[in-house]
Amino acid sequence: MTEKLLSIHELTKSIGSITPVKGISFDLKRGGCTALLGPNGAGKTTTLRMLAGLIPPTRGEIKHGSADKQTNDWRHRIGYLPQYPKFYSWMSGKEYLSFSAKLSGLSGQKALQRSQEVIEMVGLQQASKRRISGYSGGMKQRLGIAQALVHEPELIMLDEPVSALDPIGRREVMDLLNRLRGEVTILFSTHVLHDAEEICDDMVLMVDGEIAEKGALSELRSKYRQPVLSIEVEPGERELAWLHGLSKRSFVQEAEVGKHRAKLTVTDMGAARAALIKELADNGIELLRFEAGTSSLEDMFMKVVGP
Amino acid sequence: MKPFWIYYQKEMLEASRTYKWIWVPAVFLLLGIMQPVSTYYLPEILTMSGEVPPEAAALFTIPSADSVMASTLSQFSTIGLLVLVLAGMNTVAGERATGTAELVLTRTVSTLPMMGAKWAAMMTLMLVSFALGLAGAAYYTHQLIGPLEWGAVASGGLLYAVWLAWIVTLVLPLGAVLRGPAAAFISLGTAAALSLLSGLLPSRFQWSPGRLSSMAAEWMLGAGAGAWAPVIAALLIMLLSIIAAAGLLRRSPLSPQS
Repeated sequence: MTEKLLSIHELTKSIGSITPVKGISFDLKRGGCTALLGPNGAGKTTTLRMLAGLIPPTRGEIKHGSADKQTNDWRHRIGYLPQYPKFYSWMSGKEYLSFSAKLSGLSGQKALQRSQEVIEMVGLQQASKRRISGYSGGMKQRLGIAQALVHEPELIMLDEPVSALDPIGRREVMDLLNRLRGEVTILFSTHVLHDAEEICDDMVLMVDGEIAEKGALSELRSKYRQPVLSIEVEPGERELAWLHGLSKRSFVQEAEVGKHRAKLTVTDMGAARAALIKELADNGIELLRFEAGTSSLEDMFMKVVGP
Repeated sequence: MKPFWIYYQKEMLEASRTYKWIWVPAVFLLLGIMQPVSTYYLPEILTMSGEVPPEAAALFTIPSADSVMASTLSQFSTIGLLVLVLAGMNTVAGERATGTAELVLTRTVSTLPMMGAKWAAMMTLMLVSFALGLAGAAYYTHQLIGPLEWGAVASGGLLYAVWLAWIVTLVLPLGAVLRGPAAAFISLGTAAALSLLSGLLPSRFQWSPGRLSSMAAEWMLGAGAGAWAPVIAALLIMLLSIIAAAGLLRRSPLSPQS
């Protein structure tokens, strides 16, 4: 289960004077689902293109399969979906799939059979004989996933598979990916943390061409779980002064103070809650909302990505 | 060899779905027929237009059958070549610009079979269209003007096909670095420049493939000189173009915009 399917080491890509990917290293486990997360321009697409063999890396190495036996037919064992997949619009969906399958080394008969299977898997049966030029955006995206799967790859790499879709199309694609988990190894890039949390076990967070954070989602979640208090008060001078004074308390690690709300990261939730409630009562602060909870990956994401 | 056939089938299907298999042969057939027919009827057209005195029109002699065939070739040189280059300019440049190359190239290690297939498909279209046009011209010349020497027509035609082939092949490597229209313009420009140079300095440019068009016309007139050097040069250009195009496409499979 923990067999490495792909490992990359110090992968770097320079294009002219800019370096979109600056020496990243990570491994993919067989059967796992990894999200490549990061804001726009973090180097996700460049990384995936290198992994798909579209552009050569400037430095570093990509190892497919287990570490010692390096095989040359790895291209036939990966499926790749670019961010904006473009098809031959004069072909029908089914023709395109069997053309792709044949290119990946399937025999004519097998290619047709697999095309039919993946068409049903992504739910394009009705449109399979129509020209791709008449497909909607969501249909094209599903056709893109179908072509990534048609040759039964071990690893599929999807570049922003849901970013361009409406909520319904997004839902469909996420459900499809959820069904595929376990059967194939999935690496997909996204800038939406929520998508990653939904289906993935591992994540790699890239910022400015470097890996800012990586690991299992559950580990990261507990690593970044911190007690957080959020307080909202009625607007007023006394209230505002009190809010601004909060950051000086000993139990407060970090404070974000707004116009009439504050978000405190605290060391000891119990002590902080008791102390604050007492203060609120003593000072007669007009309280609107008082909430105790934990910070999420979203906060971590914002903190790492933000300025 | 298998990827080659898959690509070749794809290219042929594309050419027929985008109606290239209709309009390119149609243009060549039309060009081929027009030359003998208009030559044959030229005296009557002149008389009918009324501004030429009948004596002058009578002076006009219908040229011999093989010179009509030779001038048909010059028809193909202009519009025919333009049509071929325009039909072929997006085979590589289009795949890069629209981004269809991205999906296809992740599946294959070598771009050589792909380029070879693109070239073969272009050649198929070119040869069929040109043969159709030449056959049309020969048939009408034979019917209207006089008997032809079929051997000279065939060998001249073959030589001319080599000339068309190398210019059309140029759009492959050019398309791998430039956009379609730029590739078309440069390949036509190269053809014109080489033809002009070999016309101006015939002794210096014995080997120039630009001579092939005028040599083909001479062959049709039955006065053929040896054409090995330009033919070999043209074949070399084609071979190098395909290899260069494959290499360039592997290096930059995507246009900067996509």
